[in-house]
Amino acid sequence: MKYVILIHSNPQPWGHPTSDYVAAHQELPAAVRQRLDAEFEQVMSELRANGELIGGEALGDPANARLYRWQDGAPLASDGPYSEAKEHLAGFFLIDVDSQARAEEVAARFSGPAETVELRPMMWPGGNDQ
Amino acid sequence: MVRSILEDVWRREASHVLGALLRRYGDLGDCEDAVQDAAAAAVDQWPIRGVPDDPRAWLIRVASRRLIDRARADSARLRRETIDAARRQDGRDVVDEASQPAVDDTLRLFFLCCHPALSRPSQVALSLRAVAGLGVEQIAAAYLVPARTMTQRLSRARAALRLAGARFVMPSEQELPARVAAVVDVCHLVFTEGYTRTSGESLVDIQLAEEAIRLIRQVHAALPDHDEVAGALALMLLTHARSPARVDASGELVPLAEQDRSRWRRDLIAEGVALLEQTLPRGHVGRYQLQAAIAAVHAEASTYGDTDWLQISMLYDMLSRAAPAPAVTLNHAVAVAMAHEPAAGLAMLDALLADPAMQRHHRLYAVRAHLLELNGDTEGAAEHYRRAAQLTASLPEQRYLNRRLAQLP
Repeated sequence: MKYVILIHSNPQPWGHPTSDYVAAHQELPAAVRQRLDAEFEQVMSELRANGELIGGEALGDPANARLYRWQDGAPLASDGPYSEAKEHLAGFFLIDVDSQARAEEVAARFSGPAETVELRPMMWPGGNDQ
Repeated sequence: MVRSILEDVWRREASHVLGALLRRYGDLGDCEDAVQDAAAAAVDQWPIRGVPDDPRAWLIRVASRRLIDRARADSARLRRETIDAARRQDGRDVVDEASQPAVDDTLRLFFLCCHPALSRPSQVALSLRAVAGLGVEQIAAAYLVPARTMTQRLSRARAALRLAGARFVMPSEQELPARVAAVVDVCHLVFTEGYTRTSGESLVDIQLAEEAIRLIRQVHAALPDHDEVAGALALMLLTHARSPARVDASGELVPLAEQDRSRWRRDLIAEGVALLEQTLPRGHVGRYQLQAAIAAVHAEASTYGDTDWLQISMLYDMLSRAAPAPAVTLNHAVAVAMAHEPAAGLAMLDALLADPAMQRHHRLYAVRAHLLELNGDTEGAAEHYRRAAQLTASLPEQRYLNRRLAQLP
């Protein structure tokens, strides 16, 4: 079962890994930060070793986004960001795991202070005929 | 021309060649690499020099030499035992042994790949690689993941085998039933993955459903008296018979009820039914035989309206005792609703509705929607079609459920 893990964050300045630029993360005691970083490395290498990681990408600063909206029958381009929300889509990971429970376990381990991790199932092209 | 002959020879011989090497040298990963090298050499040489008289012996000889060369070159991973054994043999005894009837090689290889130390997805990946002889890229494409991800899965599986001390031998009599069951499940999983696919197939040069049938045929040839192996082969044949009718010209999924039955493969139905007729009277009736029997009842109805739902509901009753599962209850409820009345089927779903694990399962809502619609409860049906469409991760099923929702009066 394939899932996408979306990282919504607002690093200041924009940068990756986002936790390095999120104040709430920086304010944590050094030992806690180190532990969180190590846990993240741990889950990433676990996903790789298991063959559960399909891929992932870090996204550029939303200020650099170009937006295309339909107006008067044609696309109208403008500069980003897409929304004025506090958090932006900062990156994503694609995973292929055995169960929803495993996907939830993995997604929970991607979370950190002042960031929102969103787990969404990916649609697949097959289906049952009964 | 030579290319397709080569492909045929390769698919027929891959598991025997690997088996012959494994009997001698042991390590699965090393042997697979060597066999892969031999295949590459065949691609280079056969089109020029022609296909050898005994392709299996040729492949084994070349693979054995490559194994020695690799072990020599790879001083960091120097494996004294492998080299010594290889020097002594130089591929010759291996070839002699392999030329003896080695029917069990494929089976032993399959048992190794379905070792209990491996997760189900690892067993599937390794079986397709080692037993079916598929390339990593082919398996990755079939499962819609990058080759890198599939490589990792395979490496992990081989490492787990090494760690568990798994060997290329027949399992003990105590282990055998569980191992056969795992092999059958792996074949069925591969089949389902391929059969349920409606698009993306053109990107893939391997038809997983056919590959699964080929694999279970090999297991059946090695274990002709095993009832569940025969049952699983019958189930796959009877289900695969519907393939030409399950997708329409625009690529949309066509449900069983609406399929053009004149397009069903009669040859596969006849073969599946004949297998069942041989197997069922023998006594022990397991879940694959029961599922195959259900598929046979569907196959024998000339229209959906002619379906013998009473017989199907009785078979599901037996199946729910032999192998109880929520999916079985769902299908049982449909059969009871069709054989008797929708309310009777709906009542069977109540227990599932109370199960937290099922509350996110789209099929529970899809079946309930269908039965509510049959019962004349349009509002309830709409609500359940909506919920089912929300929960499914299948694109064609989602389109189908949305269509049913739109068609409600």
